[in-house]
Amino acid sequence: MSIATTPTGIGIAEAAARPKRGLGKLVARLLVYGLPTVMILLPLVSFLASSFLGQDNGKPTGGLTFANYAAFFTSSSYLYVFFGTLKLAFTVALISLFFGYILSYLIWRLEGSARYLLLLLSALPLVMNYVVKIYAMRSILGFNGFLNTMLLSLGIIEVPSRLFIFNQTAVMLTMAVIYLPFGILPIFLALERIPQSLISAAADLGAKPGQIFMTVVLPLSLPGSIAAALFVMVIALGDYLTPQMVGGSEGFTFGRAVWSQFGMAFNWPFGAALAVMLLLAVVALIALASLISRTARVR
Amino acid sequence: MSLPERITVTLLWIIGTITFAVLYAPAAIVILLSFVGVKDRKLDWSDLSLQWYGKFASNSQLIDALSNSLIVGVCAVVIASTISVGLAYYMKTGARAGRSYVEFVIFLPFVLPAIITGISLLIAFRQVGIERSLITVTAGHVVLILAVIYRMVTIRLDALENSQIEASLDLGANSWETFVHVVFPQLRSALLTSSLLAFALSFDETLVTFFLVGGETTLPMRLWAMMRTGFTPEINALVSVVLCVTLLFAALAAMSLRESIERKS
Repeated sequence: MSIATTPTGIGIAEAAARPKRGLGKLVARLLVYGLPTVMILLPLVSFLASSFLGQDNGKPTGGLTFANYAAFFTSSSYLYVFFGTLKLAFTVALISLFFGYILSYLIWRLEGSARYLLLLLSALPLVMNYVVKIYAMRSILGFNGFLNTMLLSLGIIEVPSRLFIFNQTAVMLTMAVIYLPFGILPIFLALERIPQSLISAAADLGAKPGQIFMTVVLPLSLPGSIAAALFVMVIALGDYLTPQMVGGSEGFTFGRAVWSQFGMAFNWPFGAALAVMLLLAVVALIALASLISRTARVR
Repeated sequence: MSLPERITVTLLWIIGTITFAVLYAPAAIVILLSFVGVKDRKLDWSDLSLQWYGKFASNSQLIDALSNSLIVGVCAVVIASTISVGLAYYMKTGARAGRSYVEFVIFLPFVLPAIITGISLLIAFRQVGIERSLITVTAGHVVLILAVIYRMVTIRLDALENSQIEASLDLGANSWETFVHVVFPQLRSALLTSSLLAFALSFDETLVTFFLVGGETTLPMRLWAMMRTGFTPEINALVSVVLCVTLLFAALAAMSLRESIERKS
């Protein structure tokens, strides 16, 4: 492009500017490729590397070792928490898929500004402060909370229940409420991608609305919706503050285990190794999600 | 519509309405409790007042944290926008072999759980010997929101005809002048929308910030600390105010997004 700008021959000033421009290009290239590398990739690499660092009672020994990973795989309690958290995040994803699909489907059927407004309303809880949402959920689920008060006054239970707070159920319910909105928009987009002509064709050929849903809408939107649910599962897996706040001692999750190594336990290499296990699970989920949405697109 | 279908749809709407109610329950409770006190598991309507709104305004810890959050948010958005526009413009003005690499790296923090990003940055800062402060927090936010701004800017730039840039260059403008007079004016609405969104993300960011925060804290960190020692209704008041401001911003962002979609189609 720079050649096209100099059809009149090279003037003295431009000749002087030449090496400078070459330097500028080099600097630009360095910035463009260097900045993301330094800001994002290098920290990730140093995190991965630090999971192989040896340590003795919290002091780094400097050598490289697999001991941190060995400690994870030989500890039944860490393995138990790891799979327990996978199960928990999976449940949250299933809840998001079910209720998210219903909400998205209802909104998708609407027309005009009601559709736009409801879509906006379903995304709005995302911008509400996360810490406050956890706190509000605790005051809803707690022993003296709104849920217990409501169930008591409805006569469903006789005494306040401790079933909803400081256990895995509490973590699951809170995460479901907080992360459901993340599922709605992608599911809605999956529904939006269905060509209107297919639905009209099915209707012209005499399919009833229920049949159209079961044979056209559901099969075409399910892959995208499952991918959305897997995305919710990824977010739920990495959360460590929600279980900390509403989980109590029973609601211990893998995210909390990782976090505690960087806080109180102060064993960074082991914490990094635990985080790598989390990362592997996440990468597997993302790969699965992209596989599902890709096969759906090919068909 | 036949009867069973009508019943199904009604049922779905009931489930949908309840889901909506549950999604908004946390916000509703916070706003309610900012006005009304609680006594013996019951709302005490005689306690209805605006006193907590006055109290939070005089809580210097909260106000400090709030202003820290605003500063971090604005800085992160400005830095991330500058980087995004630079990167996107570079990719636009030539066939760049490394484009997929750069985009892959930028989108990583957006896809990976926040805890991974937080730990990575913490370890990296420790290795180069940078103490945790608001600067490290800002760096973390830049990394996180880069993907959002870059994506929106590239979508807008890709829609821009290459011939406009070529014409400007042919007519004697250098690439800086071309950028200022031809490209940037067309990016403004995309930048505005993505900046609002990115600011909202930064303002609420908790899971990465936790690993990077030093002595001075942001609002979510302060709220977390207060929550552990006992929440007071003044926090409900502050959060209600924040909520209303965010709603306003979200409405603005949604409107400008809708505008840009309609203009494109």
